[in-house]
Amino acid sequence: MKVWRLLMVGIVIAGLLAACTAPPAGTSGSTGKAMPKAADGTLLRKIQDRGKIVVGVKYDVPMFGLLNPTSNKVEGFDVDVAKEIAAAIFGNPDAIEYKEAVSKNRIPFLQDGTVDLVISTMTVNAEREGQIDFSNVYYLAGQSLLVPKASAIASINDLAGKKVGTAKGSTSEQNIRKMAPKADVQLFDGYAEAVAAMDAGRLDAVTTDDNILIGFQAKEPNKWKLVGGQFTKEPYGIGIAKGHPETVEMVNKVLADLKKSGKWKELYKKNIPTTPPEPPIDNWRQIVGQ
Amino acid sequence: MNAESWNLLLRIGLITTAGLSIAAGLISLVLGTVIGIFRVSPVGPLRVLASGYVEFFRNIPLLICLAFIFYGLPKAGITFPIFEAGVIGLSVYTAAFVAEVVRAGLQSIGHGQIEAGRALGLSYIQMLRLVLLPQVFGMVIPPLGTVFIALVKNTSVASAIVVPELMYQAEVIAGRYFYPNVFLIAGFMYLIITLPLALLVNVMEKRSQIGHRR
Amino acid sequence: MPSGPIIAFERVNKFFGHHQVLNDISFQIAEGEVIVVFGPSGGGKSTMIRCINRLEPINSGHIVVDDIPVHDPKTDINRLRAEVGMVFQHFNLFPHLTALDNITLAPVNVRKTPRNEAEGQAMKLLERVGIPEKAHAYPGELSGGQQQRVAIARGLAMRPKIMLFDEPTSALDPEMIKEVLDVMVSLAKDGMTMVVVTHEMGFARQVAHRMMFLDAGRMIETGTPQQIFTDPQHDRTKLFLSQILHQ
Ligand SMILES: Nc1ncnc2c1ncn2[C@@H]1O[C@H](COP(=O)(O)OP(=O)(O)OP(=O)(O)O)[C@@H](O)[C@H]1O
Ligand SMILES: [Mg+2]
Repeated sequence: MKVWRLLMVGIVIAGLLAACTAPPAGTSGSTGKAMPKAADGTLLRKIQDRGKIVVGVKYDVPMFGLLNPTSNKVEGFDVDVAKEIAAAIFGNPDAIEYKEAVSKNRIPFLQDGTVDLVISTMTVNAEREGQIDFSNVYYLAGQSLLVPKASAIASINDLAGKKVGTAKGSTSEQNIRKMAPKADVQLFDGYAEAVAAMDAGRLDAVTTDDNILIGFQAKEPNKWKLVGGQFTKEPYGIGIAKGHPETVEMVNKVLADLKKSGKWKELYKKNIPTTPPEPPIDNWRQIVGQ
Repeated sequence: MNAESWNLLLRIGLITTAGLSIAAGLISLVLGTVIGIFRVSPVGPLRVLASGYVEFFRNIPLLICLAFIFYGLPKAGITFPIFEAGVIGLSVYTAAFVAEVVRAGLQSIGHGQIEAGRALGLSYIQMLRLVLLPQVFGMVIPPLGTVFIALVKNTSVASAIVVPELMYQAEVIAGRYFYPNVFLIAGFMYLIITLPLALLVNVMEKRSQIGHRR
Repeated sequence: MPSGPIIAFERVNKFFGHHQVLNDISFQIAEGEVIVVFGPSGGGKSTMIRCINRLEPINSGHIVVDDIPVHDPKTDINRLRAEVGMVFQHFNLFPHLTALDNITLAPVNVRKTPRNEAEGQAMKLLERVGIPEKAHAYPGELSGGQQQRVAIARGLAMRPKIMLFDEPTSALDPEMIKEVLDVMVSLAKDGMTMVVVTHEMGFARQVAHRMMFLDAGRMIETGTPQQIFTDPQHDRTKLFLSQILHQ
């Protein structure tokens, strides 16, 4: 008897949970009607005819693209931008097929048509622009410093003789060596290891892109603070295979609306635990000063 | 590869790897011998202590051992400098393997010799020093050689705790300049240390066989 | 100083677990006596002589050797052991040392005799056991008989008052037995106190002052070789003797 009752209670709870986790229709993205069909033969038309858009996102970057192991869904700022685009095309933010894009494979994915868009914390630069097209800048990251709360380090100029940790093989290593040549740079397998070493008192600062540092800071706000601002600029753009101006235009329109309407700050607030800055300007060359 | 890379590999990496190997080799030889002796000591608590030590360190990954010293001990107020942390981690880990070799060597010596030593009035320490250890070191040279060659290769794990040894430098160079061959070159540099070591073991083994024939 | 017995057992009992190996053993041995201990396998002969230098602990009773209470925890056992030489069935030489170094090991390290002095003595001992030319040979290079003679020399090197032998010839090929027994006979004739576990009855007849028959942990019978061989008092002694003498 008892077993049966327990089982019933279990089933009821499971049902309730399922009801709660299923997202009520139309909570994210602007619901509404689909955009008119694009010209025959274009990538955008192909997407429309397929009824869903295939997007490459990271599965392992907190706040941007992270696979939630309990819900088995990817979440983050990049994912929310993808939903805005799907909502604009289909009137349905969930008409998306996600593919995991790691730094190595994301450009080939675009070139061979595995994905329509790559929204994966990808820095726009001239070299990459030779291989694929980019949307306007949708997020501006930059290298910064994570230091203990009580640290006297306030900027990159305070690092002479200090132990600064970052990851092996990262652009952050090259940047910090250039910009703080007197720092004692120590290289770890990953950023979590570097932060753990700082926690053990072995480092004075950890440096990499601020969006990664913010994650560590948010987890232990009593221990760490971000200082030094963004001393490099990493403008993120959405990647699209070369030769699809109508798709680039459509994506840029969605981004412009996001920035103008204040929705961009909403998405920022939803995903990133710091006060949202103003949305970045569109042109990456202007940002990095090239 | 550029000059900077060679410099990192040879002047820093190779030297650090050799330093780690020699320091950890000597410390683990002494520590492991003591623990190996404890394992067959007539004193019960010492045997228990030594067995606990051996089973613990033999059955955990070296990386955990190093990470504990590097990340964990500072929380208890004990912060070893990076190189020392690497030496200590490698030493306590390798000592467990040395202890097993020494124990096996001690146990392979016939009980009759120990009786003869006791009957002659040798103290326990004299027995170890004059009868057991000289024979043990003769016969454990080959297995100890294997342990020390493994130690040299294990020093690469210390790259994870920022010890600037060969593997660390190879990873840095690979990340900075994208030379895919850097790991191959680093591999040859390990051979520079391990091959002479293997050769030395062979020579010592031959010499100890000439010492006494059975 | 009144000279009492040099070895005295008084109601000695010893167990391995529940198995009683020595059962109420009492006897006395005077200085200069040669004792032969014999009896069936497992009877406790080895155990008994190993108690004399405390290679085995006992459960009850007393053993006094050269006025020293052997199993008293306060006794400096290594000092006592230096007074008692021991020779084993399987020689138990140290294989990493030459014959000479086997012999000098204890004098140099226990008694702190200067090395050259110890080596001089060792050479004399090697001459006495008949193999001075093997001084620098390792045990692995010696025959069984030669090894046992080195072992005897090693036992003598501390100038002991007592020599214990546990079946010194039973691991030897027949042609080597004599060379070892000859050394033991000459030792006995020099007046050494000896306790010898052996079934070499010729040796017993030749030099033993007394014989002890040990069976199942009990001292069944003791007497001069004359008494034991011609007029054994116990049936078990008779039976055992008839078995070993008529092989
Ligand atoms: N270390 C030990 N642990 C348990 N039992 C033992 C041990 N040593 C001897 N024994 C047992 O004690 C008994 C007497 O053994 P001991 O060696 O003294 O006999 P022995 O008369 O010398 O025999 P042998 O002629 O075969 O040498 C035997 O039953 C033997 O199995
Ligand atoms: Mg015996």
